[in-house]
Amino acid sequence: MRPSYFINFMMGIYIFIFFAYLFGPLIIMSITAFNSAEFPSITPWECFSFRWFNEGKIAYDGQHLAGLLSDWRLHDGIISSLIIGAGVVTLSVPIGMAAAIVLTQVRSQLRDIYYSISIMPVLFPGVIIGISTVVLWDRIAGLGGEGFIADIGRNGIFLTILAQTCFISTYCFLIFVARLQRFDQTQEEAALDLGASQTQVFFKILVPYLSPAIASAAVIAFLFSFENYNTTVFSILSDQTLTTVIASKVRLGISPALSALALTIIALTIIAAVTYEVLRRRAEKRYAESQEKFVKEKAADNRINKKYKAGFKIPKGIAAILLIVVFATYGATQVVKNDLYGQSCIDAADKEKKSKFLEQLQTLESNELTDEELSGGSLGGNQDYGDIFGDPSLFQDFGGFD
Amino acid sequence: MNNFLFTQPFFKKNGKAVAIYFLVAIIFWFVFLVIIPQFYMLDLSFRTNVPPLARGGPEDYYTFEHYSHFIFGSKTATDAFNFVDLGVFGRTIFVSMLVTIANLLFCYPIAFYIAKIANPSTARLLIVSLIIPFWINELLRSFALRILFANEGVINNFLTGVGLLDQGILFITYDIGLYTGLIYAYILLMMFPLYNAIESLDINQIEAAKDLGSSSFRTHWRIVIPHAKPGIVSGCTMVFMLTVGALATPVVLSSPNTLWFPQLIYQWFNMNDNWSRGSAYSIILLIVSVIFVLTMMRIFKVRIGEIIK
Amino acid sequence: MSADVELSDVSVTFGSFYAAKNVNVKVNGGEFFSFLGPSGCGKTTLLRAISGFQEPSEGKVLIDNKDMSGIGPNKRPTALIFQNLALFPLMSVSENIAFSLEVRGVSKEERKKRADELLELIALEGQGDKKVHQLSGGQKQRVAIARALAVEPKVLLLDEPLSALDLKLRQRMRTELREIQKRVNITFIYITHDQGEALTMSDRIAVMNEGELEQIGKCDEVYNNPLTPFVATFVGENNPLYGKVTGIEGDKAKIETADGQYLATMNESKKLNIGDESIAFVRPESLFIPRDGDNFDNKIDVNIESFEFEGNLKNFYASLKSGAKIKFSVPNAIDTSSITSGSSIVLGFESSKSVILPKASLAID
Ligand SMILES: Nc1ncnc2c1ncn2[C@@H]1O[C@H](COP(=O)(O)OP(=O)(O)OP(=O)(O)O)[C@@H](O)[C@H]1O
Ligand SMILES: [Mg+2]
Repeated sequence: MRPSYFINFMMGIYIFIFFAYLFGPLIIMSITAFNSAEFPSITPWECFSFRWFNEGKIAYDGQHLAGLLSDWRLHDGIISSLIIGAGVVTLSVPIGMAAAIVLTQVRSQLRDIYYSISIMPVLFPGVIIGISTVVLWDRIAGLGGEGFIADIGRNGIFLTILAQTCFISTYCFLIFVARLQRFDQTQEEAALDLGASQTQVFFKILVPYLSPAIASAAVIAFLFSFENYNTTVFSILSDQTLTTVIASKVRLGISPALSALALTIIALTIIAAVTYEVLRRRAEKRYAESQEKFVKEKAADNRINKKYKAGFKIPKGIAAILLIVVFATYGATQVVKNDLYGQSCIDAADKEKKSKFLEQLQTLESNELTDEELSGGSLGGNQDYGDIFGDPSLFQDFGGFD
Repeated sequence: MNNFLFTQPFFKKNGKAVAIYFLVAIIFWFVFLVIIPQFYMLDLSFRTNVPPLARGGPEDYYTFEHYSHFIFGSKTATDAFNFVDLGVFGRTIFVSMLVTIANLLFCYPIAFYIAKIANPSTARLLIVSLIIPFWINELLRSFALRILFANEGVINNFLTGVGLLDQGILFITYDIGLYTGLIYAYILLMMFPLYNAIESLDINQIEAAKDLGSSSFRTHWRIVIPHAKPGIVSGCTMVFMLTVGALATPVVLSSPNTLWFPQLIYQWFNMNDNWSRGSAYSIILLIVSVIFVLTMMRIFKVRIGEIIK
Repeated sequence: MSADVELSDVSVTFGSFYAAKNVNVKVNGGEFFSFLGPSGCGKTTLLRAISGFQEPSEGKVLIDNKDMSGIGPNKRPTALIFQNLALFPLMSVSENIAFSLEVRGVSKEERKKRADELLELIALEGQGDKKVHQLSGGQKQRVAIARALAVEPKVLLLDEPLSALDLKLRQRMRTELREIQKRVNITFIYITHDQGEALTMSDRIAVMNEGELEQIGKCDEVYNNPLTPFVATFVGENNPLYGKVTGIEGDKAKIETADGQYLATMNESKKLNIGDESIAFVRPESLFIPRDGDNFDNKIDVNIESFEFEGNLKNFYASLKSGAKIKFSVPNAIDTSSITSGSSIVLGFESSKSVILPKASLAID
């Protein structure tokens, strides 16, 4: 029985749609980062510009829409996120490692319970971990009087580190468990037998063996911490992290500066992914050289379509690249032809909008409409919204301005 | 205690220094980060909402008021039940289930294709492509959808621009954006367990089944799906739990007049400064989560270790 | 630099299961001593008790007449070579070998010097910088030995170290091991389930079965004078002839079987009485096809069923009247072309080459 061409064809289309679903929004968002318009959009296209990566713009109504480089709130958020990430890595990697090693030592009757407790935190909804940490530490701070305890108990960064460590330790734990499963315990015994103390066994045998897991646990812990929102939004109290800044921005209205931020993150991610893949392939190649070849053959055997051709086929790659080049050239010529780039274009657009705005303002004034309706025309950006906890009105337009 | 808890004497096995590090790390984690905060929150959910300074005073006593508020509404309300909150709760759970099922249906063909049909290099390429969006912040991914679905967003602009529509569709108002976003948010947590489970199936079993005259559908139903069961359960559990507890995606994508349950918690907690009620609602969410996990484990007879790997 | 090792009434239990039971043995300093027994009989357990990984539940381990209870494996003058070698894959060959010096805080130069010495001993000069996975099976084996010898232990414990190697290499390593032992002159305690290995290398062997010692002695002694039916059939091959004792003459006993009467030699410590259920054993190489003028103590009628060619020997499988099976081997130098499947012949064997023991279970059951 051969899968019919029709089914193959449908499958191809399905895969295309699926990946379009995954990537389409990201690609479109990335493109909007280069449109100079205040509202992230593709049509109508105003001007091609990097302003959202740089200083942003002063809007026609005098409002400052910050770009990536000029947004101090974002910078502060990134800095706290980095601090929190570092703190979470230093706590959760050792915790995960200890918990995973001890898992190999608890009696088999207790192992299930121990394991369940260890993975419980990732099954808790993130908001709950944040809340429970905050309520507990608020109480501790309340009991602790005015001193140090009260200070750290109400320190958002400290609480966020604790709250994130609670569940990120579990991810580290799982990474270490996976690696330890392949550990040959006789190595510890051999080292002991050769005269090493228990502590030496730990540092000279176990830790070196676990070092790849330590590295990946650190990376995972940092990334999870960096992008966490659900827990952080509670535990951060009056501070801000990158994610809470993003969330409050989005809530106030969407700005292309966010597209620019997202595109930056996507670019970093892709670079990291490619680097990782290259390193991994290199390591794998080195490993394969010292191992029998059948392992690889076996992996290939376990597929329906055995007659595959190895390697990324060059023609396909060329076709893809050509396609991209064609689109890019087309886009670029359109931009150039219609004079849609550079300062002159932006100035022209701004001028036009400003005059329109003034016109509107005049009509509004003459019609004596309320301020409220006026501000409804504002298309988001970086207003000074202050502390999100202190501003109940934020919740009335929870989810945006639409 | 040693022999009761451990296979070997703990201090002797690890050496004093390392053993102390292990114990401190684990106790700090289990007790101070996991257990005590949860219990304190549970305790708080049964207490009156008083300002911090009044804690321990006469105003601070045990009560069921927060839980009864969830069900019956405030004492002054006219309705018999708290339809608003119950409605949010019910909708959250119902939609989460639909999202889970949708994820399963969407992912299964892809997971099977990558695991068993695509040639290894394509498969690797696809896997890497799957991972990349996953590392982008959930908020930003939702934001990307928001750009598409906003009233003057890319889709509406396109549709009206081309002339297909006179007026944009209110994707956000009708929560179409939210549902799409929730499916989008955790789809990879369905994909990977599924992929891993299917990948471990011996291809000979599939071929043997086909050889015995089984149709494609039957082969999947009788061979692949039963084999992938742990992966399916794992994916469904993760997706459901994350969807029910989602906050970031609803913050970006939900319409102004509907709430997701964690948003409700957020409101009680931050906006109305009612931590006790926020805690009570959290406990309710936690109970739902626990019941869901236990039910999945019971129905599909998998152990918790198989759900999270 | 060698030490005696004494196990005095050692038992090791896992729950209610005895992995080793009342083991008493004294290994002399400088001796090559082997524990031989089938898989799962408790050999590794015993070795772990000597090296300190497993506290005996009863009894004592003495090394150099010192009681070892409570002394950890890193404090005992023993070195263990693991069944899977347990080389450290992340370290180079030299680092592996010098590990025991490293943990004792020996300086780097000295470590290198010692590692080079040992590399020479195991004929791997100049290969110290290789990683473990770049070595062949036999080389890994030798590195494991060098690593164990680095701190000059008084006792080297080897747990089936050759089992992972192929036949040729195994045979070569036997000689090498024996030579290394002579050179370093320390006590070797060797564990194996391969009787050929035990017999060729050891000064003395101990045969184990289900956690208990069946017999301790020199190799030829154990081979020629097994103490139990288990040893008789586990060490080398043996044909059992079941029957009852009908008469006793000096150190010989007469046994009445379903296929006739045979005379066999009794073991001094296993005296029999008339009427006892017993088994006489005769080895395949002790069964002869009588030629003219030969006069054997015992004669036995057999019906040839099949035969196989083993190179230096030709093995015949035959059945007796009662249906019992018997195997005998004839050197290839003797012409046996007339004997084919189905032919009936008479075999003979000497009573001095046959032992008779009280009935008990065999190794092959
Ligand atoms: N930690 C343990 N817990 C329970 N039973 C054990 C343990 N270690 C060994 N045993 C049991 O003790 C018996 C002897 O095991 P041991 O490893 O000593 O056998 P062995 O003679 O070395 O076998 P092999 O030749 O296969 O290595 C076996 O039945 C084994 O199942
Ligand atoms: Mg063993």
